[in-house]
Amino acid sequence: MILFSDVSKSYENKPVLNSISLVVKKGELLFITGPSGAGKTTMLKLAYCAERPDNGRITVADWQVNKLKQHEIPELRRNIGIIFQDFKLLSNRTVFDNVALALSIHGMNPGKIRHYVNEALEEVKLLDKVNHFPQSLSGGEQQRVVIARAMVSKPIVLLADEPTGDLDIENAKVIMDLFSKINSKGTTVLIATHDETLFRASGHRVIFVNDHYIEKEYVA
Amino acid sequence: MIAKGSSNGERFEILKYSFKTAFKSIVHEKWINSLTILSVSIGLTIFCSFIIINSNMNSALQRWAKSFGMVVYLNEDVSKEREESIKRQLLQDTDIETVNYISKEQSFEEIKRTMGENAMILDIFKETPLPSSFELKLRKDYLDIVRVKEKAAQIQRLDGVQEVQYGEKWLSSLITIAKTVKGGSIVFGAAIFIAVTFITYSTIKILLHRRKEEIETLKLLGASRGFIRLPFLIEGFFIGALGGIVSSLVILGLYSFITYKMVEFLPAMKFLVTSLPLQVYLVIPFTGAMMSLLGSFIAIGKIRY
Repeated sequence: MILFSDVSKSYENKPVLNSISLVVKKGELLFITGPSGAGKTTMLKLAYCAERPDNGRITVADWQVNKLKQHEIPELRRNIGIIFQDFKLLSNRTVFDNVALALSIHGMNPGKIRHYVNEALEEVKLLDKVNHFPQSLSGGEQQRVVIARAMVSKPIVLLADEPTGDLDIENAKVIMDLFSKINSKGTTVLIATHDETLFRASGHRVIFVNDHYIEKEYVA
Repeated sequence: MIAKGSSNGERFEILKYSFKTAFKSIVHEKWINSLTILSVSIGLTIFCSFIIINSNMNSALQRWAKSFGMVVYLNEDVSKEREESIKRQLLQDTDIETVNYISKEQSFEEIKRTMGENAMILDIFKETPLPSSFELKLRKDYLDIVRVKEKAAQIQRLDGVQEVQYGEKWLSSLITIAKTVKGGSIVFGAAIFIAVTFITYSTIKILLHRRKEEIETLKLLGASRGFIRLPFLIEGFFIGALGGIVSSLVILGLYSFITYKMVEFLPAMKFLVTSLPLQVYLVIPFTGAMMSLLGSFIAIGKIRY
């Protein structure tokens, strides 16, 4: 489903990733971990084409990401659910409108949008907050809105960048349960995190990135 | 939900969404948009005023052209045969539309009629002191100061011709004014075009900056360039169109005021003031819309993912 083959990336001549190779199978839930600045976020950004590799090949489903032309990028992203470290929720839009945005860009009609958004918000248990604005929600609730937005278009891949970064243990567990549920339905999930408690004894594959390389790979 | 390409239904929904977003923004950013509409309308009103002045100058010129005449005075001692010969030459000239001979006696009678009661002072003349003459009308398309001068000089050279008179200064001034206004309209038109485009460009740039966060999110979610651009283009189009509508109404109002109110005091105005054709009042909003659309398009620039 996701392939990194001999991928290198540097910023201003400082290497971030050096000849990284990785295969993520369809329906797998994989954790990328490592210290800050190890290149975890960069790996996700390379996967959704927010960054271009200096070398190597990246494939996500049918898309050869490293060769995508500018106008082809939106189509890739419409098929990937992305959970950002800083949420990227629009403060002037309600919870409903934030989630609906992911479907509006598909050109879906309002009736279907309402149906799918309500379904997604029910899944993350936020149906009662549908008319709230993001700033009136807690960090955990905001993250659940982001998950609902990422999942509402039923993507084939879900990429999550430090999804529990600012959350307490209880909220982090809720978020992890949601990821497990999403993964159990067949969605390939890639989570970049420095929080070991998230994957400890989860039974999922973990790759440890350090000093620009994949240092080790194991099943938690 | 693997989506490849868009169906017509999806495109229609995106268009609906874009219109909704654009109108929301027009209302939400009412102050900046109102100022832009005002600026666009002022620009277009100034430009259209120039067009009206230009069109009035042209119609005045055309009206005057219809009555434009040249008077060829003959020498006092010119023979009848020579008069006939000159008349034949003038009639053969294709640049001259009509030739009207006025004898010494006719000229004298005309002067008497013009002087009315004071004509008695002319009784001191035993015979007419005026020379016989020809009144010429040139072709309408001949109203060029250089050509008229050349024609006058050419006639002046004919044997038996004493003097050729035409409103040289008046014609020269009128043509110069008409040319200046025409040139001014072109320069003004270009300046207004740039100004209106730039005004909308600046507004859309500000709106883009204010919605920077939203655009970034849209790009990350996979919104196409069209999806991101369309609301701004629609907004720019409507700002320009509204500016044009205001401008049309102002021009129409001003024209009505001039024709209906000022004519009461200056009846001559009725013949001077030429209105713009009715279609122009529809073209103005469209022109405003297209200028603003261009400004918006430049402002959005290239969207890079």
